[in-house]
Amino acid sequence: MLEASSLVKYFDRGTVNEVLALNGLDLKVEPGQFVCIIGSNGAGKTTLLRCISGSSPPDSGRTILNDSDITMWPEHKRAKLIGRVFQDPLAGTCASMTIEENMALANRRGRDRGFKAGVSRPEKEVFRSSLAKLGLGLEMRMTDQVGLLSGGQRQSLTLLMANLITPKLLLLDEHTASLDPKTAVLIMDLTCALVEEGRITTLMITHNMQQAINYGNRLIMMHHGRIILDFDEQDKKKLTVKDLLQHFYSVTAETNHLTDRLVLG
Amino acid sequence: MTFFAFCGAIEQGLVYGLMALGVFITFRVLDFPDLTVDGSLPLGAAVSSVCITHGMNPWLSLLPAMTAGFFAGMITGILTTRLKILHLLASILTMTALYSINIRVMGAKPNVALLSSPTIFDPVRRLVASFGVSPWLTSSCLFLLFAIVVIALLIWLMRTEFGQALLATGDNPKMITALGVNTSVTIIIGVGLSNALVALSGALVAQNQGAAEVSMGVGTIVAGLASIVVGETLFGGRRISIRIVSVVLGSVVYRLAIALALSMDVFKPSDLNLITASLVVAALCMPLIKTYLLNRGIKR
Repeated sequence: MLEASSLVKYFDRGTVNEVLALNGLDLKVEPGQFVCIIGSNGAGKTTLLRCISGSSPPDSGRTILNDSDITMWPEHKRAKLIGRVFQDPLAGTCASMTIEENMALANRRGRDRGFKAGVSRPEKEVFRSSLAKLGLGLEMRMTDQVGLLSGGQRQSLTLLMANLITPKLLLLDEHTASLDPKTAVLIMDLTCALVEEGRITTLMITHNMQQAINYGNRLIMMHHGRIILDFDEQDKKKLTVKDLLQHFYSVTAETNHLTDRLVLG
Repeated sequence: MTFFAFCGAIEQGLVYGLMALGVFITFRVLDFPDLTVDGSLPLGAAVSSVCITHGMNPWLSLLPAMTAGFFAGMITGILTTRLKILHLLASILTMTALYSINIRVMGAKPNVALLSSPTIFDPVRRLVASFGVSPWLTSSCLFLLFAIVVIALLIWLMRTEFGQALLATGDNPKMITALGVNTSVTIIIGVGLSNALVALSGALVAQNQGAAEVSMGVGTIVAGLASIVVGETLFGGRRISIRIVSVVLGSVVYRLAIALALSMDVFKPSDLNLITASLVVAALCMPLIKTYLLNRGIKR
């Protein structure tokens, strides 16, 4: 389904601030897999997702998605195949436009936009019924501006919008991180329901180890721009947060030790 | 204020209202401060006038004028999106280049006179006279017609798929890119469309006053902003249709305010720019002043 090979991404290359964000990363994801990605800050998780979505293309490497080589595709063309939800609940919707207008924008993801009605009548009924499933009462507020909604409501809407046209790949970048715990659970349950319903291949970044263990059917840990641990469904079931932390510290201690020695030597 | 000055203000408010609608597309819809308009207004005037003096039908001459404006806007859009030049600077560069281009269009002269040439107003003047309406109102009637047609077209456009993408480009470019829209294309077409309207406005002004002149575009952007801000303060709403109509109404109110100020003895015609700038500052500060007054009320 998704095959990223030898992805390399530098920031500020050739300056004193040079950072190697992705260090020849390889990742192969099978159809229907729900992959949780964990790792410390600066591990390259978000950079990986940005390389796949095309918003910040890699310096080298190839990306194949759904049997197409999308390496050279610009971000807006990749949108045909990819649905995305960002960490910032305000980033995924247009505040000055109404709920139904936002949904209509998402309902045309990857299609040509011409001079037909921006929001069609039959479409509104579809939106109404899918909003009703959220149980937030948004179906009664379809002509309200999205700027009037709370962060949790906006994130629910963004998630729904990303799945209006079933994406080949769903990218979730810490999409519950800036929500209160109760709303976060609501959003995660909605995520699972939508992913299972559409059997959508999903990559989800999270800093919440428990979330990474509970959800999805594969778990990978990143460090210094590489994948250092990869648990399949069987192994993942046996994992506990303690195990994961132990793995995490052993790996990071190793590399820190190395760099210390390099500095001291 | 005399009846003559009043008619003149309405007339100017309506014709420059088309320009203000163009500025609205860039400044409010796309969130793109575009100074190209100071050059594309005289560009429209020059192209239309030269076409007419070469024997083209005055109505037909509006088409090449708008096309020229569209291309001028497209250049600003391309400078910004493809060459990554800051939007404000890109538009200033296009405006600067247009000064030379406008003089070339007019045959290496700073102006073109239309005094003995036909204009779109001739047949309308006869028609209006046959109804016994004052000939002073001829231009106003025609400009009102233009304003209504352009407002209707813009409201329709903003409700289409493309218009919605245009609105989203100004609101949240990151989001609309993730939904498959190439924002470079929407910006280039949007700025083009804006300048086509500004050029149309310039062409109508030239035909109305009987001449195109290279310096007629000075201060266009400020007048456009003034109209938008005055319209929003007085008639503003959330719906795009109300916002579009309020731009033209704002333009008329703005021209009336200017005419009123100039009819007072203290002001001279050359004070126009000072009055305009003060008016824009006052309108822009309105929300701040409102909050200040409200907060004072709370403290007491």
